[in-house]
Amino acid sequence: MNLEKKRKLESFAALALSGLAAAVGLFWLIYILFDVLLNGIGALKVSLFLNDPAPAGVEGGGLRNAFVGQLMITFAATLIGVPVGVLGGTFLAEYARGKKIARVISVLSDIMVSVPSIVVGAFVYAVLVRPLHHFSGWAGAFALSIIMIPVVLRTTEDMLSLVPWTLREAAFALGAPYYKVIIQVVYRGAATGILTGVLLSIARVAGETAPLLFTSFNNNFHSTNMNGPMASLTVTIFQYAMGPYKSWHTQAWGASFVITLFILALTIMGRMIIKWRYKR
Amino acid sequence: MSGTVDIEVRNLDFYYNGDIHALRAISLPIYRNKVTALIGPSGCGKTTLLRCFNRMHDLYPRHRYGGEIVFQGNNVLTEGFDLINLRSRIGMVFQKPTPFPMTIAENISYGLRLKGITKKSELVERIERALKHSVLWEEVKDKLDSGAFELSGGQQQRLCIARALAVEPEVLLFDEPTSALDPISTAKIEELVVNLKKDVTIIIVTHNMQQAARVSDMTGFMYLGELIEFGTTEKIFTNPDKKQTDDYITGRFG
Repeated sequence: MNLEKKRKLESFAALALSGLAAAVGLFWLIYILFDVLLNGIGALKVSLFLNDPAPAGVEGGGLRNAFVGQLMITFAATLIGVPVGVLGGTFLAEYARGKKIARVISVLSDIMVSVPSIVVGAFVYAVLVRPLHHFSGWAGAFALSIIMIPVVLRTTEDMLSLVPWTLREAAFALGAPYYKVIIQVVYRGAATGILTGVLLSIARVAGETAPLLFTSFNNNFHSTNMNGPMASLTVTIFQYAMGPYKSWHTQAWGASFVITLFILALTIMGRMIIKWRYKR
Repeated sequence: MSGTVDIEVRNLDFYYNGDIHALRAISLPIYRNKVTALIGPSGCGKTTLLRCFNRMHDLYPRHRYGGEIVFQGNNVLTEGFDLINLRSRIGMVFQKPTPFPMTIAENISYGLRLKGITKKSELVERIERALKHSVLWEEVKDKLDSGAFELSGGQQQRLCIARALAVEPEVLLFDEPTSALDPISTAKIEELVVNLKKDVTIIIVTHNMQQAARVSDMTGFMYLGELIEFGTTEKIFTNPDKKQTDDYITGRFG
């Protein structure tokens, strides 16, 4: 076989294999999305959002408790995770730039990103649930924020590092102190990038079940008390999908559909911001 | 050359990265309301010298100054010198335009707000004055609230000059301000530099000898961290004392 033929064959093999791999991945993705869509869209009724769960086995009822709980826990996690992540990233990119400690923390937070979320759940169980003897919405929010922090921190660090040094020098040259340079000039330059990171980090935690299972647990009743156990969509999906009742299954599909849509919307928003940023 | 000396550099040494000796025993006067040009081949230390005047080197670790830079009676190299105050009195324009990611008006008002000026009417008035001063007003007066990045490179550089002028500095440092610009924008900036000297003392670093000849009153020629020769621009460019200066301005090296 001559060299050219051999190369063409190799190229074809590589193309076929990678194409096949992509097709396998896409097939399952589309399958899952369609399954969620087909089964979920039928379950979408106004009552799903407005009613609390009916007693087990009784038809009707909704998942108001889970929607409210999910929103509150995610919101609280964002309130905790975003400031810590943004300030931490600022420390790494600005005050500790080029220092060894910055590299160490960067690497550690990269490791944190890939820690299994159930480990985070177990950790928060040990420090916030066990000692207090009860599950709570706060514990759930705390667990989710631990997952958010490294994501936000690394994005912030990267985005701040992309802001050219000359811009900081220009602000310094006008007589600005460092904190004003950061807040008024550097943050503005990196704002869209940081916002994207925040959105993606919310999307990342919105679908988490394992950390909530150990922390906010679940609640069959409507509750806005963050000090007590709280329902969340993901844990409810887990419980309902495992349950014996047909109506539970339907509602779990509905909840799956809503949460998928929510995460999809956040992700698309994040991507759009990135695109818009680079167009300018 | 006669005139008031605004800044007196005495025996200045500068080291960076711990022990790299970048400036060696430099002494020169900077005359008030004159344009002083610093010329020399790449790496000669002209930008390093320029950045000593507003102590930009302090942003980076492991640097050390020796000697004095006396600005209106005070040595600015003194430990603990108020850098924020110094930098509001000695402004700087950089090699590449550095507009902030804000609107045109906000770019100008940034330095004013740092100085504690927040009254709307005063800000508006001073923004207009600064933009007229840098001859940008006619081009941007209808779009003060659009982003600074919408301007062309030359306009951005004039915006940066307006931003520096807005805080009414006594000295303005220019670090190769036209090296990233086209010839027409360059001509505009050069004209501006000449016009500005009635209000501020100007020090300009340039690798373009014609530019130095066109805009400056005094010229210093630097080589390998030393100031080889300093004198009126006319003398440096027509009848320099040192052979090295002559070789450089006639293009024999550098």
